[in-house]
Amino acid sequence: MRTRVAGALIGVVFGVVLTWSGLTSPDVIRDGLLFRDAYLFLLFGTAVTTAFAGLWLLRRRAPRALLTGERVAWEPIRPERRHVAGSLLFGVGWGVAGACPGPIATQLGQGIAWGVPTAVGLVAGILLFGRLQARAAARGDRSQRVSVIPSPQAGDATA
Amino acid sequence: MNERLGMIGAWSDVIGAIAARRPSLGPFGWMLVGVVGGAAGYALVAGGPVFHGYSYLTDAFSGTGGAIVVAAILLAAGFLIGLGTKIAGGCTSGNGLSGNAMGSPASLVATMTFFATAIVVTVVTEALL
Repeated sequence: MRTRVAGALIGVVFGVVLTWSGLTSPDVIRDGLLFRDAYLFLLFGTAVTTAFAGLWLLRRRAPRALLTGERVAWEPIRPERRHVAGSLLFGVGWGVAGACPGPIATQLGQGIAWGVPTAVGLVAGILLFGRLQARAAARGDRSQRVSVIPSPQAGDATA
Repeated sequence: MNERLGMIGAWSDVIGAIAARRPSLGPFGWMLVGVVGGAAGYALVAGGPVFHGYSYLTDAFSGTGGAIVVAAILLAAGFLIGLGTKIAGGCTSGNGLSGNAMGSPASLVATMTFFATAIVVTVVTEALL
């Protein structure tokens, strides 16, 4: 229950920030990707730097999660073919639509009807991945080595 | 939990719950609800970004026929975003923000790939349309 409330509150903050910063707008994304405006890269760079510093400080304290008491820990993930292949597909979609999964959600929240077809496509893509993953799991380990579809046990497959 | 935060995981949780006819959402699903609600609340109080149609797409394709073309393009783009981010294990927030902040080499490779691809696609569509 408490983790769900925390999830919703983190979401509210993220939704407000995405709308406030203008990232909901495909024009803002496009002006950044066309190098007409440094805003997108400055914003992204600042966000990553802040999170990196925060996590570095957090990790030094060998912390436990506030709500669940679990030890907070992570291992670096080695680059695999799927990280490149998936990001190529994603990059095409992001460049065309000028929106990624966060802004697609905030477009819907703001009541922008153009967010609906993008969201429907997003859902279809996620569902197809689920099918492909189930088939890869059914075929077993042998074929997974050559597949870009990660096994359901892959550590970062949910995020 | 001990999981990395990301928006595609949030979408997946909601879709998984609906597909399995599961009545409750996990923390990730509630995060998506929060993002939609937070955006709605902010837009109501302070107003969100102003939309005149949908960026370059409605400029290039106008009228009723144009709207159908734009919707079809956005549907296809959304599909690539969903499939691609699931294969890569993260989107702009999961790999780009969380993964890079965690110092994950896979996230750095993913981020360089999707930024470079999106820049090329944006420049090409800007030149063509």
